[in-house]
Amino acid sequence: MPRVTMTVNGVARSAEVENRTLLVQFLRDHLRLTGTHVGCDTTQCGACVVHLDGVGVKSCTVLAVACEGSTVTTIEGLADGDHLHPMQEAFHQNHGLQCGFCTPGMIMSAVDMVRRNGYDLDEHTIRKQLDGNICRCTGYHNIVLAIIAGAAAMRPE
Amino acid sequence: MHGPATSARIGQPVTRKEDRRFVTGEGHYADDFNFENQTYAIMVRSPHAHANIVSIDASEALAVPGVLAVLTGADFIADGLLPVPNKTFSMHPAEIPLVNTDGTPAFNVPDYPMPADKARFVGEPLVMVIAESIAAAKDGADLVHIEYEPLPCVTFTVDAADLDAPRVRDENTSNVCIDAVIGEPDPTEESFRNAAHIAKVKTWIPRVTGSPMEPRGAVGTYDPKTGQYTVYTSSGSTLRLRRDLSLVLNVPEPHVRLVIKDVGGNFGTRGAIFAEQPLVAWAAKRVGRPVKWTSERSELLLSDYQGRDLAVEAELALDKDGTFLAMRGSNVGNLGSHTGNFSMVQKGVEIMSSIYRMPSAFFRVRAVLSHTAPTRPYRSSGRPEVMYVMERLIDIAAKQGGFDRAELRLRNLVSQNELPYKNPFGLVYDSGDYIGVMHRTLKLADWEGFPARKAEARTRGKYRGMGLANYVDTATGIPREKARITVHPDGTTDLIIGTISNGQGHETSFAQLVHDWLSVPFEKVKLITGDTDIVDVGGGAHSGRGMRLGSIVIWEAVNRIIEKGKQVVGLLLQKDAAAIKFADGDFFADGNQVMSLIDVATAMNSRTDLPQEFRGPLAGECDQTIMEAGFPYGSHACEVEIDIELGTVEIVRHTAIDDVGRAVNPLIIHGQTHGGIAQGVGQALLEQVYYDASNGQMLAGSFMDYAMPRADMLPFYTTDISEIPSTTHPLGIRPAGEGGTTPALGVVINAIVDALSEFGVEHMEMPATPERIWRAIHGKPQRSRMVPDTVEQDFSLA
Repeated sequence: MPRVTMTVNGVARSAEVENRTLLVQFLRDHLRLTGTHVGCDTTQCGACVVHLDGVGVKSCTVLAVACEGSTVTTIEGLADGDHLHPMQEAFHQNHGLQCGFCTPGMIMSAVDMVRRNGYDLDEHTIRKQLDGNICRCTGYHNIVLAIIAGAAAMRPE
Repeated sequence: MHGPATSARIGQPVTRKEDRRFVTGEGHYADDFNFENQTYAIMVRSPHAHANIVSIDASEALAVPGVLAVLTGADFIADGLLPVPNKTFSMHPAEIPLVNTDGTPAFNVPDYPMPADKARFVGEPLVMVIAESIAAAKDGADLVHIEYEPLPCVTFTVDAADLDAPRVRDENTSNVCIDAVIGEPDPTEESFRNAAHIAKVKTWIPRVTGSPMEPRGAVGTYDPKTGQYTVYTSSGSTLRLRRDLSLVLNVPEPHVRLVIKDVGGNFGTRGAIFAEQPLVAWAAKRVGRPVKWTSERSELLLSDYQGRDLAVEAELALDKDGTFLAMRGSNVGNLGSHTGNFSMVQKGVEIMSSIYRMPSAFFRVRAVLSHTAPTRPYRSSGRPEVMYVMERLIDIAAKQGGFDRAELRLRNLVSQNELPYKNPFGLVYDSGDYIGVMHRTLKLADWEGFPARKAEARTRGKYRGMGLANYVDTATGIPREKARITVHPDGTTDLIIGTISNGQGHETSFAQLVHDWLSVPFEKVKLITGDTDIVDVGGGAHSGRGMRLGSIVIWEAVNRIIEKGKQVVGLLLQKDAAAIKFADGDFFADGNQVMSLIDVATAMNSRTDLPQEFRGPLAGECDQTIMEAGFPYGSHACEVEIDIELGTVEIVRHTAIDDVGRAVNPLIIHGQTHGGIAQGVGQALLEQVYYDASNGQMLAGSFMDYAMPRADMLPFYTTDISEIPSTTHPLGIRPAGEGGTTPALGVVINAIVDALSEFGVEHMEMPATPERIWRAIHGKPQRSRMVPDTVEQDFSLA
């Protein structure tokens, strides 16, 4: 089995994996980083979104061996110690989650949306670009509000 | 519609305590349980809707490296395990019982988690492969050879009711499990003879699937030394599931421990035991190691419990002024392949007249088996279906009789001074201000301003429509619940309760109750649920019972703590306990603060001079069976814009006012309403579990095919809360979890039909897809999505 090495949440991690092992399986099963979720297996729901070399990807559709030498950030690596990332805080303040299962992917997608579009996100942009993340609990209302607030809070002082 | 919380007391929109672990990836769902030495299970599922199992050859599978065992339904029976018992009807006393017209009991048969004889739906688990890894188990599963003898099948509800249809169960003479009548035939027929107007609708509320985002999963372990099974999973209930597991595993209840941490959504379709939960426990005993199973979405779409699927033919009689006289009709509900739960037809008929004054009614009700996945309650089982029928009938009557749609509703709503009101099926609604809430909704939704918005939309080429719908919901469910509260000397307060949160935020809203009533710090209230080693009594989060029943047992447990505290203060200070008062966390004697609650907890934990009964933790508990039902209700309005070139619908406004009696946490309540609306909109516009009637195949294999609402299909909702205290609840609380969904089907379809009225469109079947809308605009028959080339409404339930 090939050995794959990558930096996950700032730490070099290495494991032997099968060629068919997906990035999400590497994270969940090998590293026991269970914050990244699998909701659909087919790149529809976005529960598995992580940042691969700074860019949002659905980790259920990336092979672990393709990430050799890469840098991965998962939901567990987003906060600064006890200090929540502004997008995490915005989801909490705006009640942008209920059961919490889609939430890690939502937050990782939202942070990536800010990277692509800047800090002034409007409702229309958010709704269109959230097309790849499904939530069954919130009806999206508070998620959209959370992303507007979180994007604004991410603006550097 | 609220500002930030100013405290953590009842009524405040307190942000949730549980959020921190969810936003940091620390949530703990079923697939997050892992054990040393665990093995992995993969299920082999039937590709046939109906087939005899002739033989199963596991030899090649067993030869795959890493495969440890291949288990079948025959092994299950040989090991002395039992089928899953079905509960069928709600026995809650508020509910109206359904009895077969010929007096025979309803047909009910238990189901094996893996049948040995026959497959009865596509996706039914038949073989379980256990291996060292998921990959090895999958490789093994591919090599299990099952020889089938395919049999004819039936999937569509109306066809399944045919007495000559292929039968799901040989033990029954047809697929009909119950055939009952409800209401009064004679006055109903009399009213129809005298009616000035009769509105009719024939419709099928299609089957959908709840699709919580968390896949199903379970890990089973077995300790041969103690004979103890443990199942780690996620579910809508703890103790009912433990009981069902013990029945299937054929061991006493204490031999099964159930552990549930976070639950990634339920909506009713995760409320009952599912096949794989007992199977992993049994398999763990067989292989002597923990067995883990996590589903993939494709198998969930086949094998999750599904919801809705009700065919209805209904008529409404009105006098010349638009006063409702009576309603009549026939309902057929599709149970799928199990007699699992009849609540859809029971709850779905007893409340058909909604909150309108209806002097009489008469309905025939049937529940039928079919070669499809089993159905179960799905977010307000039965009620969204029949509220949709009632609200469609009203709009059809308004059009026919030339009545204003709002006026017609207001004229017939039960007024406050008529409550409690017994509806024509026998259900008694407790309290409320139905007319007042509808007036508020009309104002909030700007009903008066709609013509101007419609005209403006037309200048953009859009056809705008507005729909109205009122609703009422019957909240019953398992009536017994238990809370135990312990106040520790450091202020930490443990709340152990039977019910379990599936995302409703119990850690926050229950803590608000305890904080408000005992004045212990909100952040120090710790909710403990989901482990049968700790909780011993209580139900799930179904039928609006979490807060409704939870608040009662928490209130009583709090009162017992206060009572105990008064006695301890009396003993320690030699005062008359009856004269001691409790307020804001302190005990008062003769008007002076004498001890705090924490002082009492400390004394009880440390002083040895107290009588035995007052030594130890300061705790109170309440185990209560609450036989009253709750009746949340409300009034919603929806506006859509339709692009008639494409047939696409945009929801541009959705307004909801729901009466929750007393709002404990408005933030959570509005969130429940938002999500409920989205699920209702999903059914109205997008979702359908589509079975090919010719072979029983379910055609959605992933979320590519099963369309659920995405963020760009929905607007910001306008939601508000009404608080007319419920008279069937000691604290006035009504449930809040189902109000978004219950009227949504009707209000969305009414808006679409209104938008298309100038094309002569009088009705629209669900889901209102662009194709359906386009065909309706062009006067084409609305072809069935289920039986190609047939006209959907061409069925008879007479």
